[in-house]
Amino acid sequence: MEKALSKIVEVTSDPYAYVAGLKDRTQKKIIGCFPMYVPEEIVHAAGLIPVVIWRGNESVTWGHAHVPAYDCGITRSFVDDAVRGKLSFMDGMVFHVRQCLQVGEFPLIMERNVKPAYQKILYLPPIYKGDSIKSFLLGDLESFKGSLEDFTGKKISDDNLKESIEIYNENRSLLERVYEIRREKPEILRAREVMQIVWSSMLMPKEDHNELLRELINGMEKKSVEPKKDRIKVIPVGCLCQTLQFDILDIIEDLGMIIPDDDLYVGSRYFANKVKLNGDPIEALADRYLVKTPLCPTKGVWDVDWGVEVIKQMKENDAKGIISIRVKYCPPHTCYYPDFKSKMVEEGVPEVMIEMEHEIISLEGVKTRLQSFVETIGGV
Amino acid sequence: MGVEYKVNRLRATGNIRPLVDKHWGDLRAAKERGEKVAWASGPSFMFPYSMGMKCHFMAGYASYAGGIGAADELLRLAETTGDLPETCSYHRLHMGLVEAIKKGVPIKEQAILPLPDLLIAGRYCTEQSHYSESFYRRMGLRIAPLELPFVFNKEDRPRIREFVYRQIVENVIPNLEDVCEKPFDYDRLSEILSVLKKTATLRNECWKFLATKPATWTLWDYAVSMAPVIYMMGDPAGIPFYEDLLKELQERHEKGIPALAPEGEKYRIYWDGWIPWAFLGKFMRKFTPHGAVCLCGRYPWEMFPHPELIDPEHPLDTVVDWVYGEETGLACHMAPKGSIELIGELIEKYSIDGLVMFSSKSCRMWNQSHLDQIDSLDKKYGIPGVVIEADMIDPEMVQDSQIDTRLQALFETIDGRRRR
Repeated sequence: MEKALSKIVEVTSDPYAYVAGLKDRTQKKIIGCFPMYVPEEIVHAAGLIPVVIWRGNESVTWGHAHVPAYDCGITRSFVDDAVRGKLSFMDGMVFHVRQCLQVGEFPLIMERNVKPAYQKILYLPPIYKGDSIKSFLLGDLESFKGSLEDFTGKKISDDNLKESIEIYNENRSLLERVYEIRREKPEILRAREVMQIVWSSMLMPKEDHNELLRELINGMEKKSVEPKKDRIKVIPVGCLCQTLQFDILDIIEDLGMIIPDDDLYVGSRYFANKVKLNGDPIEALADRYLVKTPLCPTKGVWDVDWGVEVIKQMKENDAKGIISIRVKYCPPHTCYYPDFKSKMVEEGVPEVMIEMEHEIISLEGVKTRLQSFVETIGGV
Repeated sequence: MGVEYKVNRLRATGNIRPLVDKHWGDLRAAKERGEKVAWASGPSFMFPYSMGMKCHFMAGYASYAGGIGAADELLRLAETTGDLPETCSYHRLHMGLVEAIKKGVPIKEQAILPLPDLLIAGRYCTEQSHYSESFYRRMGLRIAPLELPFVFNKEDRPRIREFVYRQIVENVIPNLEDVCEKPFDYDRLSEILSVLKKTATLRNECWKFLATKPATWTLWDYAVSMAPVIYMMGDPAGIPFYEDLLKELQERHEKGIPALAPEGEKYRIYWDGWIPWAFLGKFMRKFTPHGAVCLCGRYPWEMFPHPELIDPEHPLDTVVDWVYGEETGLACHMAPKGSIELIGELIEKYSIDGLVMFSSKSCRMWNQSHLDQIDSLDKKYGIPGVVIEADMIDPEMVQDSQIDTRLQALFETIDGRRRR
């Protein structure tokens, strides 16, 4: 278990070095997929390595010659990394431009300044009623597949796709198992380690990650942990598209709270819902995208209530409160948040919102808010 | 002594206020008259109009609320009920309105609207879906959604056009038919387009006087005159308005009266992005003393720039092609790459000296890749540009010193290049 964890920490501590090394080692092309919904399986089936684009840990410098300071952290950080040449190992990039307006910043900036050998725009539609939605989505995925075939000069067969889907589904099952064990023994891993486990899945070839997860799970299953009864269980929610600063997770735990489960993108959202393979693999990928839960405010779903879903998750985990992690300048989360908050108030669920910026201004401020929160729910 | 520039105000544009007041007044009173009401975002309001419904238009209402000085109280009201200040100000404005309606909070009477029987949620900007979803959650409003993607690659346009057309037939029209309990009125849509064609043709004649040197009128004059070619679409009152405006512009031109006294402008400026509706006077005062006039922009050029393509015999195709047509589809100009092509055409047609990219802090719809657009256009046309950061209607996001400094820098750069 320690060996697997140590590899995971190594991968996520310097994703740039890891992915560049991966390219050298495998002699395969790397395709950066901007989070959250690019179907990586299609890239994998093309014989390429899909990597989910991440938010770096450096202050934005040259990036501000291309995007404003009021874009979200990952938008600014990714542009900064790209124009500074830090992502030169990426042979291609894929952007889902209907996820939010900020993703629309990238195509022109990359085309003019980075010039990746391959660049693809996806228009994956919101989940509205009507046959036209699925039909357009299928067209989008077919177009994606076709563009990758043109790029590699090789056809992607249904068998290639099915094989990739199975590998990805296995990864989802293994990550689910990690989360199951954490629910049973929440103290078994630090919250930052759990996030690193999921993040490493976004960076590593899934075959390698599956192997690592099997080793990790084996160790986790054997390891006994003394439960600390005074810990208050909380569920962190949100942080769309990007990793959370690990320091914030540490503060949550250091203040006496514990995280048995989460509703974070670099968390349970990434591996939720397997692809149900029972026919055409492209259609199966489309069907996975069209699943409304876990609810995502970028997908245009209004008949499922995010607050209700999270409260259900909280109760299932016997948790006492919700910590919303809202990325500063994330319009989908920002627009949804007032209604989410209202639902929490209506249902009497303790909730606090932490605003996360790329450049954290004051961890003390975050700590103070969380301190007050834990004192409040400690008395519930 | 420098030249003291002053705006020669137009008489005809003063006639617009009673027209828009009447439009919004009719909408306010519609429920009392037993009429059905819709709200619409994105280019979708013509569908409820075709059914004889009164209809709100998200950006149009925001411009009206900004113009009548009602925006600030609605924005603050939204914030007191939980909306966050960084949220799109059009979104916040409407949340404030809904809160005022729900709780009976007194606001400027002209800004009050009836709640709709149907919300056509055109998702042109992705944030427009957040707004409609909030209405559903807060008020249970009935929604007919319509995904309207920007086109980032021209080869994607045909399949996106087909997708949008299908959604209208599959979702928007059946919802309207259900709410209104009658079949969709294609004939009425044709009539609306016939009126629009006449109005937009006259408007294009007026545009010619923005290209004159010196300019005969300004983008701000056109901005306040846009309602008849957008949300007042189909209202015959728009025709005499533009006839009168055209007559005045022709007279001015014949008499040699420029938009800026005493002898016309020193700088001809392209304006990108939203119009700052609540601050038109403020922005005019920032440009005029420098002898600068704004003459054209992507957003104001969205409103049926090619009336010759309006075909009332094929109403649905006309509406879809307005946004997704092969030659002039707006959705291609919304994406940064496609916009460069359009801005380039405007630079040449209106003899532009400099670019001002208005970057809204709360709405990124027009902001995408602004700095790269400037760089690309500068390389091709030798025209400098600046980004100014503000908002359409939220005064908290408008800081004079930042705007003044950047405009000053732009004018100095133009001067510097002229001296070369």
